[in-house]
Amino acid sequence: MAVAEATAESLLTLREESRLSLIWRRFRRHRLAVLSGVVILFFLIVALLAPLIAPYDPLAQDLKLKNAGPSREHLLGTDELGRDTLSRLMYAARISLFVAFTVVLISETIGVIIGAISGFYGGWVDSLIQRFVEFMLSLPTLPLLLALSAIFRDVTFPGLSREWSSAIVIVLVLTSLQWITASRLVRGMVLSLREQEFTQAARALGMSNMGIILRHMIPNAIAPVIVSATLNLGGVIVVESALSFLGFGIQPPIPTWGNMLQNVQNDMWTQPAKAFYPGLCIFLASLSFNYIGDGLRDALDPRLKL
Amino acid sequence: MTAYLIRRFVQMILVVIIASAAIYLLLNVAPGGPLSGINLGADRRSRFSEQDKRRLEEYLGLHLPGPMRYVVWLLGEDWLDDIGRPDWQRLSCRAEAELCSRGVVRGDFGKSWKIAQGVSVSDLINNRLANTLLLMTSSTLLSLIVALPIGVYSAVHQYSRTDYAVTTFSFFGIAMPVFWFGLMLIFFIGGSQSWVYQTLKLPYLPTGNVTSVRDPLPGSLLNLLNAQPGSLADRLVHLILPTIVLSLLYMAGWSRYMRSSMLEVLRQDYVRTARAKGLVERAVIARHALRNALIPVITVVTLQIPSLFSGAILTETVFNWQGMGRLYVDALFSEDWPIVMALLFITAILYVLATLLADLLYTVVDPRIRFA
Repeated sequence: MAVAEATAESLLTLREESRLSLIWRRFRRHRLAVLSGVVILFFLIVALLAPLIAPYDPLAQDLKLKNAGPSREHLLGTDELGRDTLSRLMYAARISLFVAFTVVLISETIGVIIGAISGFYGGWVDSLIQRFVEFMLSLPTLPLLLALSAIFRDVTFPGLSREWSSAIVIVLVLTSLQWITASRLVRGMVLSLREQEFTQAARALGMSNMGIILRHMIPNAIAPVIVSATLNLGGVIVVESALSFLGFGIQPPIPTWGNMLQNVQNDMWTQPAKAFYPGLCIFLASLSFNYIGDGLRDALDPRLKL
Repeated sequence: MTAYLIRRFVQMILVVIIASAAIYLLLNVAPGGPLSGINLGADRRSRFSEQDKRRLEEYLGLHLPGPMRYVVWLLGEDWLDDIGRPDWQRLSCRAEAELCSRGVVRGDFGKSWKIAQGVSVSDLINNRLANTLLLMTSSTLLSLIVALPIGVYSAVHQYSRTDYAVTTFSFFGIAMPVFWFGLMLIFFIGGSQSWVYQTLKLPYLPTGNVTSVRDPLPGSLLNLLNAQPGSLADRLVHLILPTIVLSLLYMAGWSRYMRSSMLEVLRQDYVRTARAKGLVERAVIARHALRNALIPVITVVTLQIPSLFSGAILTETVFNWQGMGRLYVDALFSEDWPIVMALLFITAILYVLATLLADLLYTVVDPRIRFA
């Protein structure tokens, strides 16, 4: 009897300890997700180290070498102003990844808090928030994003350079629509969580509402949020690059993967690298985030449906 | 049901009014505006003086306070006695009705500021609408015809090789930046410098526009078909590339939707019951599973309706397709707010209508769902 109890005890603690490694083991089974993780890691390292490893200044023009093909000096050739394409790609990774991570971080945080409050309190708070969410969802996304970035295109923040101002404007514009999905997700989870016994127990123990939300609701609802956040990273990268491509995102000469594709249509046959690689980066980054999200979903909870 | 519909309609009107008011005010408080760059590059003689600018503002109605401007935009000005127009323009709206706006609610979206100065927005929309409708319906239909069967097949044969291919395809399609895909297609099969023509010596496709203006050059598919500019063949050939881009995009999303919803249904008890009764697998899938699996797909497809009007912004830009999406981008670029407002307003109305339609179709497909 005592032995059985001890085994049970050890099994329990063992399971407790290996939660993270269990997730990792399940995640590893998804080969493409692991590979995607490596790709993203590579992008992140390149982005972080861009000032050290980029062979040229991304803004430095060499007008004698316009639209040059790949060579030993310029591995991916140069663009129409003689700027080194590889260096521009590296610096573009900084902006594109910065925008994606910031947007997702801020919007998921806002979404989680609003969703938890809406689901937990219910009543008029919930219906007020939900009417607003439905209102936001009933608007066309891309046209709205374009309109917002056109409106705030010329906004500059005091003390910030032009490129960082426009990066922040893009972050705010994308965040303004992005938090909605997270809030709906969390609200749905919280609606069922708050009816469960442990919530009653917490309340009986005298825990405050805010305490229950922070200690019990949000941690229990976090798994699907992590999955959807990862998938959203891919989405945000594509949308940001689309805005930049159309000329409503971050403005040249600051390179982003999206705006590097502006106006390539004229000379992309003579200099294909210029048109090919920026798009490939967008595609690879977004695809990788999608696969990682897929892998995380399988690892965190196979029954999750997102 | 009637009460429900009435409530929904009231909500819809509120949503559209609030949304359009918010956008209208944002557009008007934004730095810049239609007159901001008016003196750029002007020498002393062609400069606009402050007085000229004020007259222009009055002519465009920009001198009114924001909320008032919105009311005028929405309801028109012909019912107002004095809207603060300058003296030279103060005419009775009753006498010269065409000078006064009748407001959006009566179908008057005003006149373009910049893109086509003085042309009414409705005319601009009419010119573009056919192109967008053509592109959007053809790609929507094509992708539905392909995506739904693919999704069903891949769900029924889960984990098969085909299923794996379909899932990969939809992952790729979802991650793919449309504009880059378009550019790559042009690179490979569009224009006389494309790979198809240079390397494979095959006829190439036009890289953009809705029709050609000149006789086709030798080597192009148009020349092969002997398509005259503006003829049906000419239009169809121009349609090929943008339709491929859009359809692949939609197919990727919709086949995944169809697949996951079909998988969900196939796991249900009643499907097992149907099989246990000894029904042929075909009948189980076609009669029992598919009907319920279509419910989530209906929402997605219904929400596609507004896009038939508003067009595909990125694809139309890449292929220089003179449609609504292109018009929207151009208008935003030149700060031509009347056009922007009109397009957003109509799209928002179509959006809320499509949402209602999707909800109503739910009750048709699944009679258990009731609205009260």
